[in-house]
Amino acid sequence: MPRSPAQSPAPTGKRMIPGAQPSRHGPKDFSYLLRPEIYHPLTPLNVPPPFRNPPDPPAADTPIPELLAKGYFRAAAIAATQTLTSGTLDPTDHSRIFDLLYTRLACLTLIDATALAAQEVKALGDLHSAFYYSLPPAPTPSQGTKDSSTTDAEVPESSTTAATAAAAAQHEHEHVVPWPLRLLAVRLQAVGFGDPRRAVMSYYELAREARARLGAARARHDHSASEVWRARLADLGVRVANALVEMDDLAGAAVHLRTLLAAGRRARRQGAESGNDGGGAVMVAVRLALLWLQLGDVDAARACIAADGGGNGDGVEQRVVSALCDMADGEYETALGKWRALREEVDDEMVGVNLAVCLLYVGKMQEGRSLLEQLVDSGRSSHTLLFNLSTMYELCTDKSRALKARLAEKVAAMGDRAEGWEKTNADFKLQ
Amino acid sequence: MSHQRYPSIDAVKEPHSVSLKVLRLSRPSLVAQYPLQPPLSSPSDALSHPPPIPASLAYGPDAPSNVIPPTNPAPFVLSPILNLPPSFGSAYVGETFSCTLCANHDIPDDAAGVGAGPKKSIRDVRIEAEMKTPGSSSSSGGGGAIKLPLFPPSGPETGSGFHHDTSTASAAEGGRGGTGGVDLPSAGTSLQKILSFDLKEEGNHVLAVTVSYYEASELSGRTRTFRKLYQFACKSSLIVRTKVSALPAAPTVPTAAAGGQGEREKERSEEKEEEDEKEEEDEKEEEEKHGQRRRWVLEAQLENCSEEGILLESVGLELEKGLGYEHCNDWEGGPGNTDGGLAEGRRRPLLQPGETEQVCFVVEEEGFAAAQEVEGRVVFGVLQIGWRSEMGNRGFLSTGKLGTRYVQLKGRS
Repeated sequence: MPRSPAQSPAPTGKRMIPGAQPSRHGPKDFSYLLRPEIYHPLTPLNVPPPFRNPPDPPAADTPIPELLAKGYFRAAAIAATQTLTSGTLDPTDHSRIFDLLYTRLACLTLIDATALAAQEVKALGDLHSAFYYSLPPAPTPSQGTKDSSTTDAEVPESSTTAATAAAAAQHEHEHVVPWPLRLLAVRLQAVGFGDPRRAVMSYYELAREARARLGAARARHDHSASEVWRARLADLGVRVANALVEMDDLAGAAVHLRTLLAAGRRARRQGAESGNDGGGAVMVAVRLALLWLQLGDVDAARACIAADGGGNGDGVEQRVVSALCDMADGEYETALGKWRALREEVDDEMVGVNLAVCLLYVGKMQEGRSLLEQLVDSGRSSHTLLFNLSTMYELCTDKSRALKARLAEKVAAMGDRAEGWEKTNADFKLQ
Repeated sequence: MSHQRYPSIDAVKEPHSVSLKVLRLSRPSLVAQYPLQPPLSSPSDALSHPPPIPASLAYGPDAPSNVIPPTNPAPFVLSPILNLPPSFGSAYVGETFSCTLCANHDIPDDAAGVGAGPKKSIRDVRIEAEMKTPGSSSSSGGGGAIKLPLFPPSGPETGSGFHHDTSTASAAEGGRGGTGGVDLPSAGTSLQKILSFDLKEEGNHVLAVTVSYYEASELSGRTRTFRKLYQFACKSSLIVRTKVSALPAAPTVPTAAAGGQGEREKERSEEKEEEDEKEEEDEKEEEEKHGQRRRWVLEAQLENCSEEGILLESVGLELEKGLGYEHCNDWEGGPGNTDGGLAEGRRRPLLQPGETEQVCFVVEEEGFAAAQEVEGRVVFGVLQIGWRSEMGNRGFLSTGKLGTRYVQLKGRS
């Protein structure tokens, strides 16, 4: 029986923010986000030695945007915390505080410290709370104000009215937290509280807001704003599927993606907003196909890309799915031919890595290994590339540790890169 | 990791110049990604929806342009890039166990400080593999192990150069029957083989791999052999419980309503087939005069007792002569499986660990007294179940012969 997102329980989390001043007058005080005890020290234990000191280290006072651009995410995470806890920030400067907090949390997830980020995000409390919405132009007495000013206000009736008031406020007032942080906080809080269903519900709440803002933008003929909100709404649709995948409800995710696919086709038939969404239609089908593959339904995955009305079925994306389907069927030789043909045509790291993986399954590991080494030499360094190459090193010799350590040195010596300079022990299978 | 390694058995103390490495080839997996919008990319009050930061994606951007590859389904969590299996995982009855064996001319241990030592050349490397299963080790004859064919039958894959022309290489090897040894001229070269084995028994399996080679130095040479054992436990992934109940017999000419009647009849069937037995010999003779075909309902409950999700792909009967059957399972052969999941209707059932699925068939004689009886028992045949798990990994199971003691219910047609 598929577990549908519609059956997700209502939120049970506390709606109080520890240390927050529930004042509705004057600028809001965010000093509860500046306390040093929120932030954890970072240990380099999961990082191989070559990645502990960059070959061309950034200066201590390098600005955070520059650290980010060069892929020094650990340094950026530390710098963000130093600024937040330095005591120099104005506790009411929410735009600066949230930018730094987003930088901190995002960088933690990029250096394989998602567990830490999931702890630190708890300091934000409930982002749906009315506290995070900007003040109305003319203060009106509301039930919500009374609630938050009385201590231990746990009367169900009044909290319902408070929630209604908050929902009404959402449509009138801006949320003070930037959108990317709200998105990230949904995932991290689900991890942090060990409650993956919470993410599904929170994305739906964001979607409700996005829909309202989209409607408002359309009403005032603000095309650029409505484009942004439409894109955000589409993005949220995919993130709901992500949350379902993360809670291992793949069947539920498939049901959800099917609705997105059907909605997309309907919209295309009506000729609405098709101008900049041509590639998007194919990608919706590709996402569903990948999900079917993960579930093991190869026939459905194939049908998904064949049935898609957005293309004639021979685009690169469809051919990638087709080769993946062959591998899922155990037809590695057939898949090999497809990967080789794709490799001739496109310069895509994924195609190269998948070709190399396929080579191992047909007994041509040495060719696969050379291909992966070639990809590293050309500057690629995804976790998957390094992991697969390290696996092949383990198969090639009893003394793979030396090969893996040398690979780590080589990648570290290539210096800063936007995709992230630092790699972990797990990437090289070094423990 | 459920497999254990035993130290190689060899009388010669000197370390081997060839090493054997093994990796279980389960299906490769799709890599997860968590796309993030770039931090500090724009003033926070500006309304924008920038593409995700490349570092948060599973694979890198096209080099110079720094544009996200068009093949990446971001912001979706599953990306098409493949990871090799990270660990052995669990082995289940019904799956095909596949693994790769690599015999490597290993790099001399320079760290020992003795210099390179005498240069050795490695020739005629051969790999043999056998599988010991609980059944094979208990049986008296045949040495107790099953010899496994190795793929590809072709020859060496040297460390240098690519082999684009695979067809000619394997053709040349084919002439030698694929059993010839392979030379590994220099350190770092490998001989890779792949084996597959259908897991049919629960319990301990031992994969025994023997590597032999001729080690030649400047003055002398010798043949050396070593053997490695890999043990793993094979678990059951599907529990099948069946139940047969009799239906009223049908006229010799099949009617369209047969299936529907079977559904209703199922409700009042007894707990166990044995209980259906009744003394109705007289009526039997009477029915035979009317030329009726006997019918039964076969129900089966499939329980996923593995630790991963299972997608049922096909459930069917392989019947004895004179019997036919109809599905009562709405997902079998439905349209929902071939259109990419857009049509209405039930899809193939996905069984999470511990979940069950009920399937049901109406089995009937193709003609009057067409089913053969052996000692008062009608044997139907076997139930076959095919499934797929993550990334399309296949499983297939066939039950023992199912049947029922002959029971004659009074026809009501």
